[in-house]
Amino acid sequence: MEALVKKRILQVLKGDQDAYGEIVELYKDKVYQISYRMLGNRHEAEDIAQEAFIRAFINIHSFNIDLKFSTWLFRIATNLCIDRIRKKKPDYYLDAEVAGTDGLNMYSQIPSKTDMPEKEIESLELEETIQSEILKLPEKYRTVIVLKYIEELSLIEISKILNLPIGTVKTRIHRGREALRKQLRHV
Amino acid sequence: MNCPDIYTDYMHDYLDEEITPDNETKLREHLLICADCQSHFQELKKTIALVQSTSHIQAPVNFTSAVMARLPNEKKQVGLKR
Repeated sequence: MEALVKKRILQVLKGDQDAYGEIVELYKDKVYQISYRMLGNRHEAEDIAQEAFIRAFINIHSFNIDLKFSTWLFRIATNLCIDRIRKKKPDYYLDAEVAGTDGLNMYSQIPSKTDMPEKEIESLELEETIQSEILKLPEKYRTVIVLKYIEELSLIEISKILNLPIGTVKTRIHRGREALRKQLRHV
Repeated sequence: MNCPDIYTDYMHDYLDEEITPDNETKLREHLLICADCQSHFQELKKTIALVQSTSHIQAPVNFTSAVMARLPNEKKQVGLKR
């Protein structure tokens, strides 16, 4: 896959914009997934994932073609997510009242589950629990847990993406696992 | 029970697939006699399984065309001139 991606990057560098569409197709699910697990909101995740691809395109000339493209792309995406988390204000919270709705909060905007079979509701609820526990992690632990267990990346790749020594990545994964263990032990 | 932290370190080394055979033996022997560490280890493994069980999600439809539409115009023209 990397060979194909490099070919497309060279085409993009020559001015062929359509070649970039193929790169987006190849990585869109992974980039969107990182964003969604980091931010917990589909709309924000889409916004950030699009932004990551646009920034990669604008800066493609600075990408070192000898490196792995996905590492570079994921670095852009995780940095954007971390920036967004840091800028987040409390009014993003679900129980915050939505302006002009007379007492409605974001929970009332979540579709009702009444038409779904019991089993699907259960697995959906479990998934929501896990997602919300991941979102409770401090951002430095959340990032490594998402990259390691949802994107299934190696410690070396994570260390390259985050530009951190491998020892630091390990420590964060250990602490992230311990924090999640305490949060999820009764699930 | 207050076990030395070293056993927790071994658990994490094990989960990172970086434990040495010697330490793995020490960990296994300890788990046989220590219920607290055994449940700690089970909880860690369960946590990982739960996180991994979250189904893989896909980007929304029309994601690629939305990105392509937002690319800067300047570069688009370069493509057209070729």
